[in-house]
Amino acid sequence: MDVSTEKIFTQFKEHSVAEFFKKNRQMLGFSGKVRSLTTIIHEYVTNSLDACEEGGIFPEITVEVKEIEEDKYWVRSSDNGPGIPQKHIGKALGMMLAGTKFHRYVQQRGQQGIGASGSTMFAQITTGKPIKFDSYYDKKRVHGELSVDFQKNEPLMRNAVVEETDGSRHGLIVEGEFAEVKYDRSSFSVYEYIKRTALVNPHAAITLIEPTGEKITFPRSVDMLPPKPREIRPHPLGITTNDLMEFIRSDKESRKIGSSLQNIFSRMSAGKVAELAALCPGVDFERAPKDLQWADAEKIVKAIHSGKDKISWIAPETDAIVPIGKDQVEKSMRSILAPEFMAITERKPKIYKGGVPFVVEAALAWGGNCGRPVADGHNSDIMRFANRAPLLFDAGGCAITEAIKSVEWKRYGIRDFENEKITVLVNLSSVHVPYTGAGKQAVATEEEVVDEVKMAVMEAARDLQRYLHGMTRERVRVERKKAIMRYLKQLSADLAELAGGKAKAADLEKKLLHLIETKYAGKIEEDESGDANIEEEISAEEEKVDE
Amino acid sequence: MAEKAEKKLEDFGRDMISEIDKDLSPTFKTLARTKSNVIFDESMGYIRLGNKVEERTFVNVGQARKFMQTIAIANKCKKFLRENSHTSIRGLYYQLKFSLGETLDEDLFSEQSESNPLIEDLEVALSLKREDLNLNTDRKGVVAGPLVLRDRFGGSEDIIDCTKQGRSGWMIPSDVDNGMDFKSVDADYVLVVEKDAMWQRLNEDKFWKKENCILITPKGQSSRGCRRLIRKLADRKLPVYCFTDCDAWGWYIYWAIKTGSINLAYLANDIAIPEAKFIGVTMQDIKDYDFLGKLTINAKEVDIKRAEEMLGYEWISRSKGWVNELKTVLKTKKKIEQDALQGPRLSFVGEYLKEKISKKKFLV
Repeated sequence: MDVSTEKIFTQFKEHSVAEFFKKNRQMLGFSGKVRSLTTIIHEYVTNSLDACEEGGIFPEITVEVKEIEEDKYWVRSSDNGPGIPQKHIGKALGMMLAGTKFHRYVQQRGQQGIGASGSTMFAQITTGKPIKFDSYYDKKRVHGELSVDFQKNEPLMRNAVVEETDGSRHGLIVEGEFAEVKYDRSSFSVYEYIKRTALVNPHAAITLIEPTGEKITFPRSVDMLPPKPREIRPHPLGITTNDLMEFIRSDKESRKIGSSLQNIFSRMSAGKVAELAALCPGVDFERAPKDLQWADAEKIVKAIHSGKDKISWIAPETDAIVPIGKDQVEKSMRSILAPEFMAITERKPKIYKGGVPFVVEAALAWGGNCGRPVADGHNSDIMRFANRAPLLFDAGGCAITEAIKSVEWKRYGIRDFENEKITVLVNLSSVHVPYTGAGKQAVATEEEVVDEVKMAVMEAARDLQRYLHGMTRERVRVERKKAIMRYLKQLSADLAELAGGKAKAADLEKKLLHLIETKYAGKIEEDESGDANIEEEISAEEEKVDE
Repeated sequence: MAEKAEKKLEDFGRDMISEIDKDLSPTFKTLARTKSNVIFDESMGYIRLGNKVEERTFVNVGQARKFMQTIAIANKCKKFLRENSHTSIRGLYYQLKFSLGETLDEDLFSEQSESNPLIEDLEVALSLKREDLNLNTDRKGVVAGPLVLRDRFGGSEDIIDCTKQGRSGWMIPSDVDNGMDFKSVDADYVLVVEKDAMWQRLNEDKFWKKENCILITPKGQSSRGCRRLIRKLADRKLPVYCFTDCDAWGWYIYWAIKTGSINLAYLANDIAIPEAKFIGVTMQDIKDYDFLGKLTINAKEVDIKRAEEMLGYEWISRSKGWVNELKTVLKTKKKIEQDALQGPRLSFVGEYLKEKISKKKFLV
């Protein structure tokens, strides 16, 4: 050994969370020029939407992007939300894992409190500049500059100015300069992100001002705020040992582990605690919560999952989940995609991992501006959302993508799903979305989630199939009409000549035309010989699919 | 006849126009010519179409083109009748093979196989033969004997005396009904011989003169015109005797003359001759005439197959004599040609025929 162990360990320093993420920024979605810019804006817009909803305000959000030089952009995001008070603004925008959300068991877009601080950090490490904030709240305005102290994971605020206002204005404006980013309109772009956000947030008005100066507005299409999600306590079946440790240690109210369990969890009665205690003979439920050791927590979690014959749990409450809603999805999809046909499924809440409730909504839109235009036609488009936040990246490893790809589209009249003018929208709502990483761009392939997404999409696909079937029917009808009309002129001429009477070919032609049009105007009479095969003809056409 | 056919065609068109005036799709009815609608009529003794009616209609995607084509044929035939000109079904096809219009990439007819069945449709629907519509078929078959016909054709009238046709006889035309009638028939019977060579042999011997019969050869399977002529002669109460090879093919020729055939079931009443009787050659003849035993030849696979097929026909399987004949063929796998009867001497055929007819040795 050339270097002493001692020496190696002098270089070993304790890293703060911020330091860790500075070195692993790709985990937060800051990888690639286009993606990084989208992530920055995603964090701001998500925060704005959540803040407005909490404040009971119809969100009006404006995002502006300007190019400073190549790969270097200025971004400004503003909302009409409740604003952030001076004493919280540092934590909100300059400290990792410090949001109001992390320990709350409630459905929200941002979930882990990394968000906007990550953007602050990104500005710092790519341009060396802090971000600027301007917050209007409670007859006050505070504005200044903010950066992150990476060593301490603490916000660094500079030049903060507090002013009194008349209270007529509220909201938050954040702006900053970012390098190693790029603006375009690709499928991972800010534009696509904003469009999709608008799609699932029809109560919000979102404006994007692109570097070219083009101003794109997605107006509000519904006059109703989504109901506020209710905070619920977690269900015991949904947690890991680590969760249990964190929950119990942050419980400052309870004096014993037993009562803390009751306090933290839903469906945890004194009786259930006693049952658990019986299943964990070595664990003292009378001790203080702060004294809970990992090994004991492990035993408790194991006991919780020990099976129905030993301990059975009442299913978690599910009414805390607020999906977008059928009408809302329909209105916004119509206004943004103008589809020829759309089908929406809204499913009942389900549970994954035994304890985490979730709701899946799926919509299929076909024709119009659906799909994604490519050089030689259209590709299908999968729009993934979690708690109304678009998931643009990491599609490959996502439960939603996997579920949609596993649908046998041919069975629903979609011959070539990849190249169809179709948009599939799936929104997963849950108090705890199982993201695959801190970048929050893909849903983990939990079996229950994959199955549920698949069921929802298939349900919508059945409606689409009926529509396409009807279209095939209509097409067959028109084709038949045309097929007969081809022979009209010749027949009329021959018939008039054959009869040799007063009847004129032109008159016969007119009368026959009327006959044909009447017959093929509406529903085809199925009982007629020759035409009776229409269903066969249609199914034959639809079966070509399987060839 | 031509006027009658023309009138029928016009009425055919007028009926359809009145349907159109009533807001109905133009239609016409015809008998189904499917195999399932072909029956053997025991009381009449021939194969005819059953009573299954099929309706053809225009406003139906499966039928529109055929319907239009049928009317085009009808109209074209009306013109032929009016102009008093004839053509073959191929000629008709060429007359109707034209584009339906500049914007339509489609011909009225694209193949003759399309027009042929529609002609039959029309024949059945109108109860007319194609010959009545001035459509000729190929001529086949020759006649000689005491028969005189009047033939009005191409603007002139000719008297045809079948005793004065020399070595080649009178070739039977496709149509023996329209513009054609018998001036005199002074024969005692009609003899139909399968092969032209045999006919020539008998003609040289003036067999028809000696026997006062009408000597006909269909030259194999008989044509429509040939069968129609035999039918008309049978209508004059002349007995009809058939003389063919002693093999399944020869017998089939006889049965087609007698009962009509499945393909022409729709014409049965006009062409079947249930009165026809079979002279030979028979398997029994091989026993009765010693020399024939040495002149048999081996039956071919087609002969065997045909014999098996014939045993399956209900109108043949009921005849004990015929079943025996066919079974003998299947057993011995032998056959014998009518030409073999010239074995002892060329004129022996005549002696054989005279003996069989006078002794009424027919196979029934």
